[in-house]
Amino acid sequence: MQESDGEVAAVTPQQSWQAIHATVDRARSSMYLAGTTTILLLWGLIASLGLISQYSMETFATDFTSRYPWIRAPLWGVLVAVGMVGSAVIGHRAGSREAVGSAIRSAGIRVFLFWLAVAAAAFLIPAAAGMWNEDAGASILRVSIGIVALGHILFGIMYRPVIAAVGAGIAVAFYVPSYLAGDAAPIVTAISILVVVALSAAWIRKSGLP
Amino acid sequence: MTDDVIVLDEVIHQSTRLRIMAMLVSIPETDRLAYGFIQKTLDLTGGNLTTHLRKLEDADYLVITKEFLDSKPRTWVQATPEGRSSFAEYLSSLEKALNWQPPRT
Repeated sequence: MQESDGEVAAVTPQQSWQAIHATVDRARSSMYLAGTTTILLLWGLIASLGLISQYSMETFATDFTSRYPWIRAPLWGVLVAVGMVGSAVIGHRAGSREAVGSAIRSAGIRVFLFWLAVAAAAFLIPAAAGMWNEDAGASILRVSIGIVALGHILFGIMYRPVIAAVGAGIAVAFYVPSYLAGDAAPIVTAISILVVVALSAAWIRKSGLP
Repeated sequence: MTDDVIVLDEVIHQSTRLRIMAMLVSIPETDRLAYGFIQKTLDLTGGNLTTHLRKLEDADYLVITKEFLDSKPRTWVQATPEGRSSFAEYLSSLEKALNWQPPRT
């Protein structure tokens, strides 16, 4: 049975059943991914800015950083707060262009709470491990990036595998330079993270996601 | 059950229209989806989507409204109560078809 618009009209009951499940699943996932590409690019810029600022302080203002070793915490705290607010605004705007009503609102709230939990874990787990001190403070970023990468992997497993690949990319972009690039590691990582998020954003756009 | 005649709604029983209706009934009754969101999620061309939306609209299964959002025109699609009940009946018929066994001779 063929229709004037060229689509095959008839589908078997099994195909119909599968199509319904696949469509509902994809529609729901798409709602959870509203604004993902823009948000990824925003976080790429924030992470790069944080790493470059930290590198600049530790290289060009050694007296200042040795006098105030805790300065990294407010630096990253402010950047993460800006990122969370920015992501919420971008996600809300993107969602309101895709749907109206409680479904998209609920998806937005769940996504925000998920990433709020990841961000809180990135701060609180090092604190619970007793790392917020002069000796271990420099390693906090290693732990936090690992938690953020894991957050992406979990989110990707739940909603779209490409996001899990982004998480793996973030981990590689951070840990490989930290072992191989010596003192220049923050700069190499900043560039690598920008490359990872730019490639991911292009991949996500190409795959037709919001 | 084998004596029952299983009738599937012809308007819904088409791959694209089926997926459109599945998207629309999977959200609460008062919710609406953007035309662009449906197009992207189902990976359809604009012409193809418009054709199928028109058929579903003609059957009173959905309503299409146009609004301005941030000074840009937006087209919203919402399932009607009739569309929801027809989809529920379609699902019921589909279940029967899936469980159908040929009569033993």
